[in-house]
Amino acid sequence: MSTAEERHPTEDLPAYALGALDEAERIAVAAHLETCDQCAHDLAQFEAALYEAAAVGAVRADPPRDLRTRIVLQHRGARVVRASDWGARVREWFARPVPLAVPLALAVLLVVSFVAVGTARREADTYSQALAGVADGRVVALGPQKNAPAEARGALVIPRSGDPYLVLKLSSPPTGKTWEAWVIKGQRPTAAGLSASGGVFTIVLSAPIDAGDVVAVTLEPAAGSSAPTADPVLAGGT
Amino acid sequence: MLVERIAGGDAEALGELYDRYGRVAFGMLYRMLPSPEAAEEVAQDAFHAVWQRAGSYRSDRAAVRTWLLAICRNAAIDWRRTRGKREESEVTIDAAAELLSDSKVDERVVEALRAERVRTAVAELPAEQRDVLSLAFWGGYSQSEIAARTNTPLGTVKSRVRLGLTKLRERLVDER
Repeated sequence: MSTAEERHPTEDLPAYALGALDEAERIAVAAHLETCDQCAHDLAQFEAALYEAAAVGAVRADPPRDLRTRIVLQHRGARVVRASDWGARVREWFARPVPLAVPLALAVLLVVSFVAVGTARREADTYSQALAGVADGRVVALGPQKNAPAEARGALVIPRSGDPYLVLKLSSPPTGKTWEAWVIKGQRPTAAGLSASGGVFTIVLSAPIDAGDVVAVTLEPAAGSSAPTADPVLAGGT
Repeated sequence: MLVERIAGGDAEALGELYDRYGRVAFGMLYRMLPSPEAAEEVAQDAFHAVWQRAGSYRSDRAAVRTWLLAICRNAAIDWRRTRGKREESEVTIDAAAELLSDSKVDERVVEALRAERVRTAVAELPAEQRDVLSLAFWGGYSQSEIAARTNTPLGTVKSRVRLGLTKLRERLVDER
């Protein structure tokens, strides 16, 4: 009987550490490593050397300042879910959003940042009007998701009285498309409003929202959808 | 232990892991990917993968940094295969021969990582061994692909990979 001890893939371990073996070779080595502590030990040392060298070869570059915050907030209270189908992707929204309750002053700063890049005064007015009722309400930032357009921003405003609404900065949707808001309770998304606007604009949520709900925005056909047909561009938890 | 805390659902521990290694991870991804935006996206994906896999981390198999950087590298390769055009990596491949000994290193990282010793070890590798290691690591190419792209016999490529990494191991890793 051929045992793991008799056929150590010693010569293939460096390439395995590099991920440079062809698939059949990789599978064979991986199977061996399951049962051979000596080869696993050798592999660990090859990997240690490789990544030490790689760390020195890394580019001198600062990651975005908010990357740490996004990573932490993404996982604070998150459930770990694998997205494999639509339903799972909806659940994934609970794991991916960046819930960030921001004070009003910061929300105002967000407005400034929205409009400080040369957009029209009209957009500033729109956002100012949107914030007019927030004095004693809450503002929750919506996090850009994987397929979000560049510089996509959004905030959920929950005034003490009146309907909650979204303040969004998104490019104009392509012809035949619209931005659609969703309120997700548990795993069930409910359509909550449409807008074909671009720039800074608002969507008043037509669906009730409660603590723990997730709000998301997707790009949908112009007439809107009864259920999301695309991954969210923005999402956030309440 | 940090990874155990992550496995237990402690998001702040994930932040501490980022504090320790996030910069070098981002720098590595930046080198592998066509844009800082891609590096940022993959970094976020990689830390999510860390979150999901923390429970299966084995400290006897890899140091935390090695484990994290391996996850980052795999995420970068996956990104290039699924979302990035392979052509975008051609620049990486063209420049790969110098990557391991490149001067664009982060001194703050370098200091913590015994960089001088690493630089020396890499510099002392024969150029052809350094080249295949760089092509495989940064380019994400298999030995067969490297052989085809460089018109080198597969056996020669395998030999260079084996000898090159074995030398790095001898010079950089203390026997336990």
